[in-house]
Amino acid sequence: MKKLFAIAWKDAIIRFASSSELLFFIILPIVFTFLLAGGTPSGEDDNRIRLVVVDQAHTPISQNIISELEKSTAVRPEELTLAEAESQFDARRANVVLVIPADLDLQAIQNGTAQVDFRQQPNNLNATVAERAVQTAIRRVGSAVNAANNAVKAAEKNGTFESESERQAYFDEALKSAQTLQDNAPERVTIIEGTTPDRVQYDPRASSSAGQLITWVFIPLFGISALFAYERQQGTLRRILTTPTRKATYLLGTISGQVLMALVQMSILILFGIFVMGLGWGREPVALFVLLTSAALAAGAIGTTMGTFIKTEGQASGLSIMMGMVMALMGGCWYPIELFPSVVQSIVRILPTTWAMQGMLDLVLRGGGLTQILPETGVLLGFAALFFSIGVWRFRYE
Amino acid sequence: MLKTFLIGIKDLRLAFRDRAALILMLAAPFVLTLGLGLVTGRFSNNSSGLSDIPVIIVNLDNEQLGNALADLFHSAELADLMEPTASSDPEAARQLIDQDKAAAVVIIPEGFTRSIIPAAGDRANLTTAAADPVKIEVYANPSRPTGAGIVKAIVDEFLSRVEENLISGSVSITQLLMSGRIPPDQVPTVIAHMSENLQTHTTDNALAIQMNSSTADGEAVKFDILAYLAPGMALMFLIYTVSYGGRSILAEKTQGTLPRLLISPTSPSQILGGKVFGIFLTGAAQMLILIGASSLFFQLKWGDLFGVVVLVLAAVFGATGWGMFITALARTPAQVGSVGSAIMLIFGIMGGSFISLDQMPAAVQAFSKITPNSWALDGFTTLALGGTLADLSTPILALLAMGMILFLVSVFMFGKKNLVQK
Repeated sequence: MKKLFAIAWKDAIIRFASSSELLFFIILPIVFTFLLAGGTPSGEDDNRIRLVVVDQAHTPISQNIISELEKSTAVRPEELTLAEAESQFDARRANVVLVIPADLDLQAIQNGTAQVDFRQQPNNLNATVAERAVQTAIRRVGSAVNAANNAVKAAEKNGTFESESERQAYFDEALKSAQTLQDNAPERVTIIEGTTPDRVQYDPRASSSAGQLITWVFIPLFGISALFAYERQQGTLRRILTTPTRKATYLLGTISGQVLMALVQMSILILFGIFVMGLGWGREPVALFVLLTSAALAAGAIGTTMGTFIKTEGQASGLSIMMGMVMALMGGCWYPIELFPSVVQSIVRILPTTWAMQGMLDLVLRGGGLTQILPETGVLLGFAALFFSIGVWRFRYE
Repeated sequence: MLKTFLIGIKDLRLAFRDRAALILMLAAPFVLTLGLGLVTGRFSNNSSGLSDIPVIIVNLDNEQLGNALADLFHSAELADLMEPTASSDPEAARQLIDQDKAAAVVIIPEGFTRSIIPAAGDRANLTTAAADPVKIEVYANPSRPTGAGIVKAIVDEFLSRVEENLISGSVSITQLLMSGRIPPDQVPTVIAHMSENLQTHTTDNALAIQMNSSTADGEAVKFDILAYLAPGMALMFLIYTVSYGGRSILAEKTQGTLPRLLISPTSPSQILGGKVFGIFLTGAAQMLILIGASSLFFQLKWGDLFGVVVLVLAAVFGATGWGMFITALARTPAQVGSVGSAIMLIFGIMGGSFISLDQMPAAVQAFSKITPNSWALDGFTTLALGGTLADLSTPILALLAMGMILFLVSVFMFGKKNLVQK
């Protein structure tokens, strides 16, 4: 026991010899958790097509058009200056731009000179949709004036106006009538939301907290391989041969030390999740502990196996970072796994990160307990058993 | 000059002989790009492009307006956007939505047309028909909000035309009657005429506000998600490469090769210049290899070749400035390594390599301007969207200015530390 503690303590001293290790142990995980919590797509974002609007008129009519566009279920208007809009359009960052010119007002509509400019990128389906949405908006805004103009034309077919003022009065009366009818127009469409089960159960804070915890804990646990390589390069592993220490004692000391450090790191990140992000990590502490320990053991086992193949510390460090990042990405720690293609969703089940992430989300997002996370825990412990066996079998001091 | 060049070439060769460095310089960005391509569906044609939205049309009206709406969904104009199928069973259609088989069902109920355009014998009701409207039902799939929203927008646009005609006709008749231009006994005739008009011109009535539509020149460009992700990863690991290069300056001092260089007839500025040139060459080689590999294996189109090359050189120059700055701050090669890795990750997330900067808070977007990742990624996105070198003036100038400022600051700091002195 004393030997185990001494080996674990020695590894902790080596790891934290430089204060910069704290960057990776706690500072960067917290920064990433915080940023990704607000930055990853939640599935509840405004998915409407972006429509850049340049309002040069700033009249009630132009405001009405923008207001109608905001009600659209297809486009999301975003007001920019003409220069900004043209710059984005030229750089193809904007698919569609609506320019409402300075002279657009009620008088222009009445005179039949009102117009807006709609610019679109070639062969762009988003532009086709946006064009219809703009047509709907300007039709709604201009329809009362249009109706009044048509009423004047119908009147002129049935006689003449004696003066321009009589014509204007007729128009004004018709406009008032049309506006009343428009205001009282009945809703002719009803929207009913289906009961399609939502495939994406997602809370950006919960997913970010769980995902970043796994990412930043798996990478150093894979780094056990670098510890072995370092000791092998330094020759200190060979020296252990001269002491009454069994291989199992050395491996157990190294691995349990790293797993313990991982549990400390995870605890800090869990506390950050509870107290800063308001997540319910503390609801099922026993289940959480079991899951975190299983995940740490699985990652530590993979690191042990890697350590038996990799020769230098530099290669081990690089591979640990690369494998940690790739496994986190593919395991759904950065983006919701439900958004992956179905084939990829099936393939990534061979990764421990996938199971760890699912277990974490079962606890924090789906309100599960120990029973619900048993499958994930079982698979993670299976990974641990498999890779520890390979690692111990292949481990050499030299 | 030759000495500077030789030192640079020597560092380039050393970097590409170091297997451990190659893992993070080339393997990691390549494998992560591959992973991102897989999870985004880039390799399975499962990208979230907006086309062929499946919609089910249940036309129980079977009269003018109902048919016009059904025809609209089947029109050539919407052929690429919509994938309509017809059904006569509303309940079966709703079930298909619940099973996630389509984005929405449009159910046009029986009597829809007659609730707006009365039958010939009931024309007096033209102005009052709206009292109890027969409503079209859009049964939307909540898991496909964009597609369902577009279907609703198309129905809205159709109904706005119908409503406009209805109001126009109603106002015209009311005004004619009230002004005494037509006697009451002529009203049925006028209504009949207007009803005919409503039926035949539902779909082509003019807008009160003319919409001048114009299309930009050039070919259609479909944005490839990998054209954002691949440069994002390459730029993130470029920071690793430049810090690796910076680390070699301190390592040469620690290992004693720097003093040896200094006793040779080589000036400190030639040595420092050579080291910087080596970092620049290594970064440029890394970027060009990754660009070549992604073009070859992922068929990724990076855009205008000349623009790509100039942007790569500018990005590497900006990043090299950061490599020098990190080196000037650090005391040991290990410090450069760990701080460099941390900055690589921080610049990666804050420069848009993981998620689009548009989704980040305003403060992060502002901070991102100090990262070469953000400027270069902006330039690569412009190129992928069909831009050319002429469109890259802002990112290129920003990267060059960044590199120059950081280089000057680093040289000043090196001078204070007497790092490269005889």
